[in-house]
Amino acid sequence: MRTHSRKWLCLLLLIARAATAAPQAQLQLPGFESLAAQASESVNITLDSNLLGLAARFLDSNKPEDAAARELIGGLKGIYVRSYTFDRDFTYPSADVERVRKQLSAPGWQRVVEVHSRKEQANVDIYILMDQGKANGLALISSEPRGFTIVNIVGSIDLQKLHRLEGHFGIPRLPLDEKPSPTP
Amino acid sequence: MSNDFDQQLRDALRPVDPDESFTRRVMSRIANEPTRSRRPQRARWACVALAASVLLGIVIFHHWQLQREQHGIEARNQLIEALRVTGEKLDIAYRAINEDSHPGAGESSRT
Repeated sequence: MRTHSRKWLCLLLLIARAATAAPQAQLQLPGFESLAAQASESVNITLDSNLLGLAARFLDSNKPEDAAARELIGGLKGIYVRSYTFDRDFTYPSADVERVRKQLSAPGWQRVVEVHSRKEQANVDIYILMDQGKANGLALISSEPRGFTIVNIVGSIDLQKLHRLEGHFGIPRLPLDEKPSPTP
Repeated sequence: MSNDFDQQLRDALRPVDPDESFTRRVMSRIANEPTRSRRPQRARWACVALAASVLLGIVIFHHWQLQREQHGIEARNQLIEALRVTGEKLDIAYRAINEDSHPGAGESSRT
């Protein structure tokens, strides 16, 4: 009886360890409810796997934009977007953004792009979650004087497909095949 | 001629009282008539109820389908919007990298 309990305990510990060791592709994004009222434009999108599946059924394959979207979301489990734009320079709660950024310092996440555009006055960081050699998540944080955007894509991301989206949705060719810079 | 015909018609159609046995025959026939079962009436109600249920089911299904379609279109629009926002930000990164790779521009920095 005692041996049996020990076995169960070991099994539970193993499961718990596996659960904590597995890198989390889905980030805990703050609600930013208070910002929506102050923003001139706000986008708050939460598409889990069910909604993605539902959306896929309503994509028109005859439209190139829809066809490209269908191809991209094939292996995805969720897309989460929080984007706020303000009419004037606005001090948004950077602590919330930093909290998101902190989650990206977890093992598995790699920052592949970190750019500062002086022209756009924007900092854009792109992170990819690598799991067993595959990209299983993508996070993008863009901060500008008059707004910020956080995008979290969960699931198996085919970077080649992302490349092929060039020309759709304004997605350009990205240097994703370059060696990623280590996370600081 | 006409009067004769009228008379003939009147004679033919004159009221005649039924004989005494008429009432008896009618009553005996009523007595011998098998009692009508209520089953056909019940069956009729069952059919009405079934038809009403089917109709209600169709209405509910149609409503559910409409709602699902509405949610689907909304989800599709959200997906396109999410990809548009992502694309917009990737474009900023792309342009900044491009500017960086052309030293003449020198307007951005990249890690």
